Amino acid sequence: MATETTRDFEALEKQTQTIMSVFTKAGYEAVAPTILQPADVFLDVIGESLRARTYVFTDPDGAELCLRPDLTVPTCRLHLARHADPATPARYSYSGAAFRFQPQGADAAHPREFRQAGIERFGDTERETAEAEIVATVIRAIEKAGLKDWSLRLGDLGLFSSILDVAGLSPRWKKRLDDAFLRPLAFRESLKAFAAGAEAARLPVPDALLSSLKRADMAASEAAIAAYLDEKSIELIGTRTLSDITEHLIDIAEGREEKPLDPAAADLIGRYVGITAPARMAGAKIAELVNGAPAGSAAALESYDRRVALLANAGIDLERVTFAAEFGRTMAYYTGLVFEVRVKTLGPQSPVATGGRYDALMRAAGASVDVPAVGAAIHTERLLAAIRGASS
Amino acid sequence: MSRLTLAIPSKGRLMEQTTDMFARAGLVVRKVGHARGYRGEIEGLPDVDVAYVSSSEIAEALKAGSIHLGITGEDLIRENISDADTRIGFVHKLGFGFADVVVAVPDCWIDVATVADLEEIAMPFRRLHGRWPRVATKYMNLTRRFFASKGFGDYRIIESAGATEGAPAAGTAELIVDITTSGETLRANGLRVLNDGVILRSQANLFASKVAAWSPALQSVCDQIAANLAKSVPQPANSK
Repeated sequence: MATETTRDFEALEKQTQTIMSVFTKAGYEAVAPTILQPADVFLDVIGESLRARTYVFTDPDGAELCLRPDLTVPTCRLHLARHADPATPARYSYSGAAFRFQPQGADAAHPREFRQAGIERFGDTERETAEAEIVATVIRAIEKAGLKDWSLRLGDLGLFSSILDVAGLSPRWKKRLDDAFLRPLAFRESLKAFAAGAEAARLPVPDALLSSLKRADMAASEAAIAAYLDEKSIELIGTRTLSDITEHLIDIAEGREEKPLDPAAADLIGRYVGITAPARMAGAKIAELVNGAPAGSAAALESYDRRVALLANAGIDLERVTFAAEFGRTMAYYTGLVFEVRVKTLGPQSPVATGGRYDALMRAAGASVDVPAVGAAIHTERLLAAIRGASS
Repeated sequence: MSRLTLAIPSKGRLMEQTTDMFARAGLVVRKVGHARGYRGEIEGLPDVDVAYVSSSEIAEALKAGSIHLGITGEDLIRENISDADTRIGFVHKLGFGFADVVVAVPDCWIDVATVADLEEIAMPFRRLHGRWPRVATKYMNLTRRFFASKGFGDYRIIESAGATEGAPAAGTAELIVDITTSGETLRANGLRVLNDGVILRSQANLFASKVAAWSPALQSVCDQIAANLAKSVPQPANSK
């Protein structure tokens, strides 16, 4: 912060020490990943939308670098550099600066430069236990720092997947809805279009050619596409190969054979997405929704209930915890549990801490396999503002 | 400030067409001093300073409010000014400098006709080639806003300084966002515009900077220029 006073600086330092001592006592080794990160690895992981908010630049050697927009990806990279086997269990904690361009202009709650203090836990296969401990550790750190009045909001991106299973969707529908779920604006529209069977025949390929393609005989299918391109004098250019294109055409051909999305399934999905309830009741609400459905949903629901019970065991006051099915949809790279800690004075746009499960991130950062990973970060300036706001 | 600054493109077709159009509207623009200089005036409008500036710098100057009026393409305004509608007034469409900003993919992608199809191929592409599809463009902001509005996020932008149409064949990007007038350059490079891939239909406009220092006197000079242009280039009914 350009306008930071010595008093602010010292208060933040003191708060950070408090937070870090909670983290290290809980067994999270303190690490300091580098601030400068290679842009390509980082941007590939976080996607183009956060890239618009990342400070990217070229150094005098021509290498593309960025100022880290968060510390989770750098911590994954640090873990990969340390361990040949990315699934090696490890617990890390950190505190350091992160940088984000603020397109609407920076303000106190949305600074361009801020300090994150967080924890990450890799390779732990006791999923719900690890998740509940992460949440509890962050809450403990926040309370130790002096915040009394907080509320916790939970979401679960994994539950949506199981709802899709319950709805009895084909793999292709499931994949498309799963993707669409992460894009709330497009979601309702897609849901409607899918249910109406409104997948227009709009490709430049003749239907006869499309329906002649067979997955069982890729060589012949590719040859047919090559002949078609040849006949139309279309040159094969670019990175995508003939087999890339043919395979996608086969996906499309198979998709066309399918019935449109069952309206009952669309309705179920729409009702699930609308659920917001106290964490204690949400399990029952979802159970009611999927009542009589195939067994696939049971595991995910059990996992939800177990997590809530573990949170209560860890001393989290469930009265303060809400579940919202839609929550987490727009957050980058999460795959399961998502949560945020809110305070009334700062409002819903400025959570003091966020976190969740992100099992696919390690692979995106260069690992050969998915690695169970869950973590959380505290926005330390906001936390300080919230504590000061409450005491003034 | 008692004088109005009008910026005109400093070279090429855009400069010629602007000068011609203004002349037809009874606004004769003349260079002041040396013929290769960058200052001018309009006959009969003594309060107007004409500055010859490159098109992209005109967008920047309008954004900063260092000029009152400027002629440039809507594409450059939308690309360089994220809050264009609050900073910039659309005074008059000029009927030249037509260019569409479009998303174009290799013609051989016969499995891709819309942005939704791009979304479908992004994940398999990443699985096979180890990265998201790359989009070569010099319109980074327009590209991001357009794809975000379609809910498409699985791509990487490669900033292109020129010859963007060649990027897919050269293997430096998978698709492009660029301007096209007739589509001929795209076709020559084996590219095709997506069915829903028109981001912006751009043309040259007379723009006003809302953040420049305006006085009632300067406003009436601006109105007079706009009125003259309106006589020679009637605006389509739906124009702003």
